[in-house]
Amino acid sequence: MKNALRICTFVIGTFFSLSSIKAQTPTDALMMDKGQICLAALYTNDTWDEYWEGTLKRTNGNIGTLTRQTIMPMFALGITDRINVIAALPWVKTEASGGQMRGSSGFQDIGLWVKATALEKTLGTGVFTIHTALGMSLPTSNYLEDYVPFSIGLGCPDFSIRGTLQYRMDMGLYVRGNAAYMIRGNAKIERDYYYTTHSVYSFDVDMPNAMSYGATLGWWLLGNTLQVEATYDGLNTFGGFDIRRQEAGFPSNKMEFTRVGAFLHYYLPFVPGLGIIAQGNQVLTGRNIGMSTALTAGISYQFGLWNKHEMETPSN
Amino acid sequence: MKRLFVIPAILVVLSFVLVFQSCDEDLPTYFQFEAYEFSSLDEDGGTWTPNLLTSSSQIGIPAPTDASSAEFIAEVAEIKTLSSQLTGEQQKAVDYWGGNGLIRWNEIARELAAKYNLTPAPNADGSYPAPDPANPSTYPLFPFAHPPYAARAFAYWSAAQYDALITTWYYKYQFNRPSPFNADGTITPHLPINDLPGYPSEGAVIASVSKDILTALFPLEKDFIAEKADEHQHSLKWAGINVTSDIVAGDSLGRAVGKVFRMRATSDGMKFAQTPRPVSDSIRDAAQDRFGWHWVNMESPVRPVGITPFYSKVKLWHLPNVEVVRPVGPPAPGSAEFQIDADELNDVLDNLTNEQRKIANLWADGLGTYTPPGHWNKFASESIVKNKYNPLRAARVFAYLNMAMQDAGIACWDAKYYFHYPRPIQAMPGFKTILGTPNFPSYTSGHSMFSAAGAEVLSYIFPDDAATFEKYSQEAALSRLYGGIHYRFDIEDGNESGAAVGQYAINRMAIDGGE
Repeated sequence: MKNALRICTFVIGTFFSLSSIKAQTPTDALMMDKGQICLAALYTNDTWDEYWEGTLKRTNGNIGTLTRQTIMPMFALGITDRINVIAALPWVKTEASGGQMRGSSGFQDIGLWVKATALEKTLGTGVFTIHTALGMSLPTSNYLEDYVPFSIGLGCPDFSIRGTLQYRMDMGLYVRGNAAYMIRGNAKIERDYYYTTHSVYSFDVDMPNAMSYGATLGWWLLGNTLQVEATYDGLNTFGGFDIRRQEAGFPSNKMEFTRVGAFLHYYLPFVPGLGIIAQGNQVLTGRNIGMSTALTAGISYQFGLWNKHEMETPSN
Repeated sequence: MKRLFVIPAILVVLSFVLVFQSCDEDLPTYFQFEAYEFSSLDEDGGTWTPNLLTSSSQIGIPAPTDASSAEFIAEVAEIKTLSSQLTGEQQKAVDYWGGNGLIRWNEIARELAAKYNLTPAPNADGSYPAPDPANPSTYPLFPFAHPPYAARAFAYWSAAQYDALITTWYYKYQFNRPSPFNADGTITPHLPINDLPGYPSEGAVIASVSKDILTALFPLEKDFIAEKADEHQHSLKWAGINVTSDIVAGDSLGRAVGKVFRMRATSDGMKFAQTPRPVSDSIRDAAQDRFGWHWVNMESPVRPVGITPFYSKVKLWHLPNVEVVRPVGPPAPGSAEFQIDADELNDVLDNLTNEQRKIANLWADGLGTYTPPGHWNKFASESIVKNKYNPLRAARVFAYLNMAMQDAGIACWDAKYYFHYPRPIQAMPGFKTILGTPNFPSYTSGHSMFSAAGAEVLSYIFPDDAATFEKYSQEAALSRLYGGIHYRFDIEDGNESGAAVGQYAINRMAIDGGE
């Protein structure tokens, strides 16, 4: 039972505006044991050729297809069995197939989370858990967020609190729900006047706060070496403004989407601790964002850092 | 154990929430300054020479009631009551309109320019619709406030203010009727006091001219503008600055002056500036015959007509004609001289420094902004407040600045469509930019001409800050190179031509009586 919890997974939530991915967030219910660390590297290829200008879905010949590639190293470390620290730092590159504008690239925001098991309770033939995660992300380079759709991030610090509820049956099937509230600080742009729905005389942009939510149906298969999930998630900002007709996007646009996805994490039987990750996401509905299709591939490697007890084969 | 963890977690959450909320203060939506005592009253302002009116007494106003009359005493009593018991909203309005409503209306004009500075989206078939002044609310909304439109809007708004305030000063000192607080020492106005005669109200004139001109230029904003003008005029009474008849006279004077300027606007050639395609094609073909090159729009779908090919034919303010400042012309694409500047562009964009990127963005003033002329109006506003100018003197700054910038725009558009020079993205295959390339030819740079003309005028008026304006002008011009949308020769020739345009405005200013 407990062994299964030791497997590291990264269900990455990639939340993005028309311009940018944001907040790769641990939404799962898995914890590393004390002293165990899991390293992962993920590559994501995200493209869209349609986007929502406000609520109007459209194409743009001067963008064509926008491609956003992300390489994201991350780790999860068990401070205790019940408290984990997770960190990630994505490197992002954007380019458009149409038009004559340069793409951009660079490190985006460093994300740090403290995740804790708040409740773990046997219930019937399964286990009910509640996890909470407090997270913070900060821009690490001076990328320009006021460069939509090529900007690589939203450029604002944010702080999030997430709750994750899961019920996992002993047979390996589980359902999970999570919700998070994100408090965003100001973004800083390189002009001292801009128009949103009114004039603003400042380099600062007041970013709307946001909430995200998700639901997951998952199953541990092949003796707990293969994890498969079907996901549905979404995001809404509180406030922000719509892109007007033929207007450029802006960091503080109102932002909404819903999305479906699938996730696989397979632990290779021949190398203990090594896993491969595959994920796909498709945006279904949105507002002021691209209708993106994202494919992710990655590897994970888990080992004991200081509490080197024997790697246990995940089993139930 | 579990619960022990929960409590510190909640504390951490709360502290973060507080930290983040505390930086969530409202960002400024207008220029914040304290109402100030004017550095001069310009008592002789009524003798200054207007630009469009034939004289400061061309527009007549009725004589006011005498300061000793029962009517005036009753009006003053009304103001005493009104100004002694302000609601929170009224106090806010008094603070906002302050001692110089001209600054506020300039901001409103800039905000409207920014709001309407959106290029039409393509139709499904790849064609483009155009705004129609006869049906302003049909998409694309009228106007498309691109730089030529905005420059003209600022010029009309400010030139009308200046002529109207010269007229206002003329009558103020002809009738010499005191302001209510000077007529009744027990009134305590909510703004710094001065000895300007009250009739007609300069604030009411400013509101009235603004309403008249801006409504004509931004017809869909009629209600918004009317509401602002109404609040402005009321605030003068709440502040204890003017009586009702001061305001009524000012309002009607403002409308009469506005009408004179609107008459000029209907026949200044702007309505033909956005030419139909056949005319646009013939302008292009003429350039091809003359020089062996022509500009094409590179967007997808292609915009078949550039922005205002015949802006060059719009009526000038102080420049005698566009030819006197027409630059020498750009080097032929592909020539050795061209290649030097093309190589520089490639090099700069491939190795862009943070400082260069900042400059490109700070001065971009592109779609959705108040355009480069708007940027210079912001500097003018700051200098006016810094020097504590009275409204008449402030209007003089705005008027010459904006007339010069519109003349610079007109001359620039002459060069743009006369030389019809390809943009870097057209002449340099594979070249990519960090700013969007505007829909008009390259040579000369509009930023360079607007900014050089603006800096020239502001430096003349505010010589102490001349070095700053010069630096801004250079930065604004170079920002286009850093953005990848102009060659150095577009910028240098534009600077020279723009400064020459500014000089014509200065020559006129030097003899208008306001020195």
